[in-house]
Amino acid sequence: MSGIDEATDPAALIEAYYDAGWTDGLPVVPPSDASIAAMLAVAGLEGHEELGVIAGRNAVVLAEKAAINAVMAGCRPEYMPVVVAAVKSLCAPAFAYHGPASSTGGSAMALVVNGPAAKRLGINSGNNAFGQGHRPNATIGRAVRLIMMNVMNTRPGLLDRATLGNPGKYSFCFAEHEEDHPWEPLHVSRGLRPEDSAVTLIASNSLYQVYNHLAAEPEPLLYCFADALANVGTSNLLGFNETLIVFAGEHQEVLQKAGWSRLDVQRFLIEHTRRPVADYKRGARLPGEIAPGDETTLRYRFERPEDILIAFAGGRAGSWSACLPGWGTKWTRAVTTRIEIPGGTS
Amino acid sequence: MKLFDPTSKPVDRGLTLAPRPASPRGLRLGLVENTKFNAKPILEKLAERLGRRHQTTVTFRTRKRSASHEVDGDAIKALRAQCDLVISGIGD
Repeated sequence: MSGIDEATDPAALIEAYYDAGWTDGLPVVPPSDASIAAMLAVAGLEGHEELGVIAGRNAVVLAEKAAINAVMAGCRPEYMPVVVAAVKSLCAPAFAYHGPASSTGGSAMALVVNGPAAKRLGINSGNNAFGQGHRPNATIGRAVRLIMMNVMNTRPGLLDRATLGNPGKYSFCFAEHEEDHPWEPLHVSRGLRPEDSAVTLIASNSLYQVYNHLAAEPEPLLYCFADALANVGTSNLLGFNETLIVFAGEHQEVLQKAGWSRLDVQRFLIEHTRRPVADYKRGARLPGEIAPGDETTLRYRFERPEDILIAFAGGRAGSWSACLPGWGTKWTRAVTTRIEIPGGTS
Repeated sequence: MKLFDPTSKPVDRGLTLAPRPASPRGLRLGLVENTKFNAKPILEKLAERLGRRHQTTVTFRTRKRSASHEVDGDAIKALRAQCDLVISGIGD
């Protein structure tokens, strides 16, 4: 272990972590040899093992450092395999860490947890799924951000150049509500088995909630989502986008009753997020004067159905769902990683 | 109680900076475009001015997949083999 100093007063110890610049602004839980060892043990890891590498930064994530940060974040040891899977997603080449982690856009690293582990760990998928009050939601996401800061050298003002950032940068982790799911869960839609547990990571700009209390059919409901996803101020227009949509209770029922499939929703949104080039030129999001044909030439925001990720979470009551706008498929891709637990239980 | 360092330093890959040229005069230029909106115009303007003022010649151009990605290995090899000076730019 890399213990470098000693203190006896817990409050002073917490202050020492502040003084060293190792926190996210909130107090941390001071690690101990025992708490770090417990983290590693649950994940079946030795401290020297590499969890991944951030290409271009020469940043190697060692299990010991991940465990220290997980303790600091307030994780229980049994959360560690989820943190490890999230780190592996961050390090995946398809995620292309540098852009979404460093850009002025200031994305949150949204984590969707699926499978038996989500239920076993008590990761909230219900009321207030994006909000406060649940330890695994709060601390798993926080651990990932601390690892980004402390191990991946992604510090505000340095290699984190977020203009505003967003509150999800402290922590953004929730589980999918798999009971009463109208389709296969998110991780299965991305190639894993129902009995697997998994973390899906997507770099998300600030989420926006979509409200519709009146729609009884999918078309008007999804029209609201299409409008939100194709707003003129949306991030990058130079390529295609990726997004995560989280449907909550009453909206889920609308889709379910109508018998719409995941692909039906995705196709509808691809078609209805097309927008005239003229709109983007009026907003100076595309260069040049409006030319003949720009009013009728439609620009696509999404290229493939699978670029619209869909999950279900949130309370059963209320007419709110959410879009978590991604970063553009040219720059980064959502990554789903299986949660590995020693003994083969996922 | 101990204080545990949660940080890691970048792994030293033994990389060193190439010697800086004393003058750009007559050098072979490489341009790395990162796909940002104005990156290419900025790079081309720089190359044009360097050519006019210092008789440089653009000998290799490459375009990254995105600003988020590294320059690919083949392009690195070509830059090393064909260029004395490489300009990489970010523009928005």
